[in-house]
Amino acid sequence: MDNLAEKQFAVRKASPPGCTEVGMVPSVENNLDPTSDEALLVKVSNSKSKEAFDQLFDRFANKVFAHGMKIMRNEQMAKDLVQEAMLTVWQKAPLYNMDKGNVQSWIFTITRNRCFDMLRKQKRQSAVLSADDIWPAGFEDAEALSEAERGSVEVQISQIEKLVRQLPAAQQAVVEQIHILNRTHEEAAQFLEIPLGTLKSRLRLAMGKLRQSLGTES
Amino acid sequence: MISEANYHPSTEMLKKFTAGSLLSGLNVAISAHIELCETCRHKTSKIEAKAAIDWLQTNDDQKQNDFSGLALDIVNQPQIEKPREKEAILDQIHMLDHSVSLPKVLAKAASQGLVWKQLGGGINQALMHLDDETQCEFIYMKPGSQTPMHKHQGSETTLVLDGSFNDELGHYQRADFIYRTEKDMHQPRSEEGCLCFSVLDSPLTFTKGLARLLNPFFKYQFRRSAAGRGI
Repeated sequence: MDNLAEKQFAVRKASPPGCTEVGMVPSVENNLDPTSDEALLVKVSNSKSKEAFDQLFDRFANKVFAHGMKIMRNEQMAKDLVQEAMLTVWQKAPLYNMDKGNVQSWIFTITRNRCFDMLRKQKRQSAVLSADDIWPAGFEDAEALSEAERGSVEVQISQIEKLVRQLPAAQQAVVEQIHILNRTHEEAAQFLEIPLGTLKSRLRLAMGKLRQSLGTES
Repeated sequence: MISEANYHPSTEMLKKFTAGSLLSGLNVAISAHIELCETCRHKTSKIEAKAAIDWLQTNDDQKQNDFSGLALDIVNQPQIEKPREKEAILDQIHMLDHSVSLPKVLAKAASQGLVWKQLGGGINQALMHLDDETQCEFIYMKPGSQTPMHKHQGSETTLVLDGSFNDELGHYQRADFIYRTEKDMHQPRSEEGCLCFSVLDSPLTFTKGLARLLNPFFKYQFRRSAAGRGI
């Protein structure tokens, strides 16, 4: 991130913390319902909250079990699926990205994937491809990554500001947190109440767009 | 390398893909198509969201299990802080005079190594074993190659990865997803050459060793081997 755009933003880092920059729209996630699945997963992700995970576990474990029974028709395997799937939820919580779907969809796909892998093992099928290869977490991610690269072109600050204002509100908020208020990724994720994975992905997309617009793409 | 596909999997097929209820080979073909096709990517995320809602709203009469202790075991495990570095995998396939970049799932599948066989008539085949129910393979048709008229037994799914081919029903290029059932009769030909991933799901036929007779691209081989056996 040591590119030109960042250096230009650094000029404005003197703004008092918390001030609302021109054109910055407050992120909707600031107002997450604290009892929602999203809010719970954010807590699991940002502060490893065991209480929040407990609540998610209560909400989903029996649904995961029912899915296992439906597909595998075996109680022990369905219980194993609960363990596998909910463990994945815990472990991958920091990677959850709300831009790619809500928590329900996310846990649904985790359940499907773990179940698929269990069945594959049971049938002793080819180990070449796992469920996560077949249903990757994000196709878009790859494009965003390949977009990212640096260069050096003289750009006016005003031009960057204009471009920032053209970003979607959620991406603007992230750029503001990181490049204008100079917060760390963790601080920004806490402040916006979004998972770290979401923050990083938004930042990457936003910076990719800015670079592209500024012609600093290699 | 993203191109707009003209031929897509049916909505029904995408629903089964989302539910995980297709055979592996077909899952792989659809996954690869989705990576190349933005339209199907969006459609699939919508189907996924809907499937999740249905899943949560279903009132199954399963007993409510007591998983006490399990959650506690889980939270004592470490979390993953950042995505694992992607292992380096082959993502290109080298054809006669150029390279073709593969969708990730196919790149991974091909990373175990491809063995190409010449089938005659300008057709080359590299088989992959992805599950026990389907026959999966890369097919390369050299420029100017043509297969004889044939029908399908079972279904055949073809995803075009490079170049193009025609049959009586259309012209297919990169990202096009073609699903043929046993009713369809066609005669593929390729002017400019064509690389495809293809999935055949006709296990009964395969076990009798007759699959090759029925695979469109294999007709040549059939003729040659049939001639060899004096039929």
